[in-house]
Amino acid sequence: MSKRQLAMVMDLNKCIGCQTCTVACKTQWTNRNGREYMYWNNVETYPGDGYPKKWMELGGGFDAAGDLQPGIIPNIEADYGVPWDYNYESLAEQNLLSDKPEPGFRPDQSPTWGPNWDEDQGDGNFPMDNYFFYLPRICNHCSNPGCLSACPRDAIFKREEDGVVLVDLDRCQGYRYCIAGCPYKKIYFNPKISKSEKCILCFPRIEQGLPPACAQSCVGRIRFVGFLDDEESQVYKLVHKYKVALPLRPDYGTQPNVYYVPPVDTPPKFDENGKIIEGSDRIPMEELEKLFGPAVHDAIKTIKAEREKRKKTGESELMDILIAYQHQDMFRLDHNYYVEVAKKKGMKPLPLVDERYVAGKHTKPSSISHFKVHA
Amino acid sequence: MKRVVTIAAALSLAASFSIAGNVVTAVKVKSLKHLKCGSKLIRKYAKFQKVVVYPQTTVHLNDKKANELNKDAKAKVVEVAAFTDGKNVAIVTRWPDKTKDVYKGYKSDIYPDGFAVQFASDASKPEKLPYIGMGSDGRPVAIYLRKAYGQGVYEPNGNGDVAHQVNEHNTNNFGKNLKKFKKEVKKLGVRPYQKAFVSEGFRSMTEIKDDSANYRTDMHYVKKYHKWGGMVVRPIKDAYAKPAKNEFAVAIAVWDGKELQRDGLKRLSSWIAVKLPGAKNKALEKVVSERVGGDVKKGKELAMTNCASCHRWKGAEMAPMYMAPDLSNIGGQATAAYIKESIVDPNAVVVPGYNRNSHPNFAWYTVDDKGHRTSAMPPFNYLKPQEINDLVAYMQTLKAEVEK
Repeated sequence: MSKRQLAMVMDLNKCIGCQTCTVACKTQWTNRNGREYMYWNNVETYPGDGYPKKWMELGGGFDAAGDLQPGIIPNIEADYGVPWDYNYESLAEQNLLSDKPEPGFRPDQSPTWGPNWDEDQGDGNFPMDNYFFYLPRICNHCSNPGCLSACPRDAIFKREEDGVVLVDLDRCQGYRYCIAGCPYKKIYFNPKISKSEKCILCFPRIEQGLPPACAQSCVGRIRFVGFLDDEESQVYKLVHKYKVALPLRPDYGTQPNVYYVPPVDTPPKFDENGKIIEGSDRIPMEELEKLFGPAVHDAIKTIKAEREKRKKTGESELMDILIAYQHQDMFRLDHNYYVEVAKKKGMKPLPLVDERYVAGKHTKPSSISHFKVHA
Repeated sequence: MKRVVTIAAALSLAASFSIAGNVVTAVKVKSLKHLKCGSKLIRKYAKFQKVVVYPQTTVHLNDKKANELNKDAKAKVVEVAAFTDGKNVAIVTRWPDKTKDVYKGYKSDIYPDGFAVQFASDASKPEKLPYIGMGSDGRPVAIYLRKAYGQGVYEPNGNGDVAHQVNEHNTNNFGKNLKKFKKEVKKLGVRPYQKAFVSEGFRSMTEIKDDSANYRTDMHYVKKYHKWGGMVVRPIKDAYAKPAKNEFAVAIAVWDGKELQRDGLKRLSSWIAVKLPGAKNKALEKVVSERVGGDVKKGKELAMTNCASCHRWKGAEMAPMYMAPDLSNIGGQATAAYIKESIVDPNAVVVPGYNRNSHPNFAWYTVDDKGHRTSAMPPFNYLKPQEINDLVAYMQTLKAEVEK
């Protein structure tokens, strides 16, 4: 168990599936050789097979007794989908004036699966009761990581200072037991360097006062980032105070540290005559319960109650947090804390590059000019 | 009277030894500089010794497909030979494998065939050889690994060439420039896939990356015989292993890609004594070949009452998984001396266990303030010497059937 835990909350009510987070992560971290197929962050449509295909059925995680469960390592072609490319070169070379011009863009292989293959398909009959919602997924930086337990080489570790789960590439020998052990299948194998790679929760950014790339770039402003022991952080309030942010598949026993505010408002269903069925919800409760555990009932109740309260009294802290009026309110990073950690380790602390989001409990407002202005 | 007892003890000891197998004599040659798999030198002069490699089952791994494929894995017979030129030693091995699995291309769930040769750093105390496969605390091993990779493994080498790590589609290269870029990236590939490690027990295996391990390896597949051949050449003496009295203790591990093997999923031999020219000592070959003459039936009864509540082995599967090392192939891999030592002094070599969090209730050891590991297994030193012999004799029968 690490001393502190950095966590993220994603409000699924606000996710519009635009993939900005996916692209931000992809271009920042996984544009290297061997990482072509990797999406450390992906947004999938739920219900759907997701990425990798049917990841929830591939095993891993722990059973009730705490035993690590065996899992299956997905296959790049069938389960992830090899990223295909287009015939740019032949397009440039072909003679478009000839009688039989080659048709334009063609993929260089027949795609079979990809990170967003079943986007917006959802489930149910249109227009009666069809539904879907978006589910952004990153590594959950679990408190009891299945990947870490499965590694026979101690190549995976959880950072003492903030609980970020990382792969030590010097120790990793590419055995891939971590992939089998992670029930979320959020560790990827790099076939070019024969090592495992994964989301690093953008720790180099966090240490310098920047939120993770996925969180900062999110146009729906669904992502909150902060430390779970920082009672002033929105993450703490959503997870512990209001208990509306829940871990994904808590039944896997890994104690994930990425939390989700479940989708609350869904349109009602229509009956055979096209009339609204009052009080009905398109998203079946059992689906939400499968994803977020039994606590989802209370979470939804709390959100609905707080919304009513807001309507009546005009006040609700929870609604204020979820609306996220100011972008900087969503992130409570702790630069000063990292400076202290670095000093203790005899390392040179990294300089602050952005002070807008730094307000953690170890960072006094007066130590940053930004707060002086508003004090 | 005292003299009679001594003689009787010596006789009983002699009776418990029968020297056979697991001893390889190195052939002296002029130079090993150009030695390769398939070299005429090997074909003409190698004195191959048959050695059995047993499936490693000490720890339970979590790859579902691989576990199914390896459920009833049998032992294989490999052949081992050795050469020396006075400065270097070469260990040559041949092993049967019906399928040639070479790692190629862009795959996440396939594995190549491979082999490793392990040297005990210090073979001067044969009865205290390191834990087979991984070494143990204070008893390190040097491991040389080779895998059948059909492509270079590209590792960012810390030379600041980050630009070449970038995927070609994320560069501005096009046409000829792109071809040049690809070529440069390819050049950075580490080829072939060979690595040297030092290890003092599970989880401690560390790659030697500072070029201080001077070695080379080779492997090739002979389709006609469905056999792999592999060799490792290293100096007779270096910082990682040296012979004791002109003898090395080595072990051979082979991985079958078809069975999704890697890491602990492999076939592993027991310690083999490699005798260099001038080796006259018999101690090491005695230890590696020792068959204890005990009552196997009594040993089985003792094992069922004393061991089976924590350990599992084929035919005794009452203990919960993960509770203690699986002993199914202990007879094939461990020396009698090691089994004996583990019974009377479990703290001598502590196997840290595979899945640290796999079952929080079954810690295999505790760590004291000084970092010393204490095994969760109590010492069974109260057993009578004959009972221990019976137990060891039974343990030596625990091994997988040999593949025909």
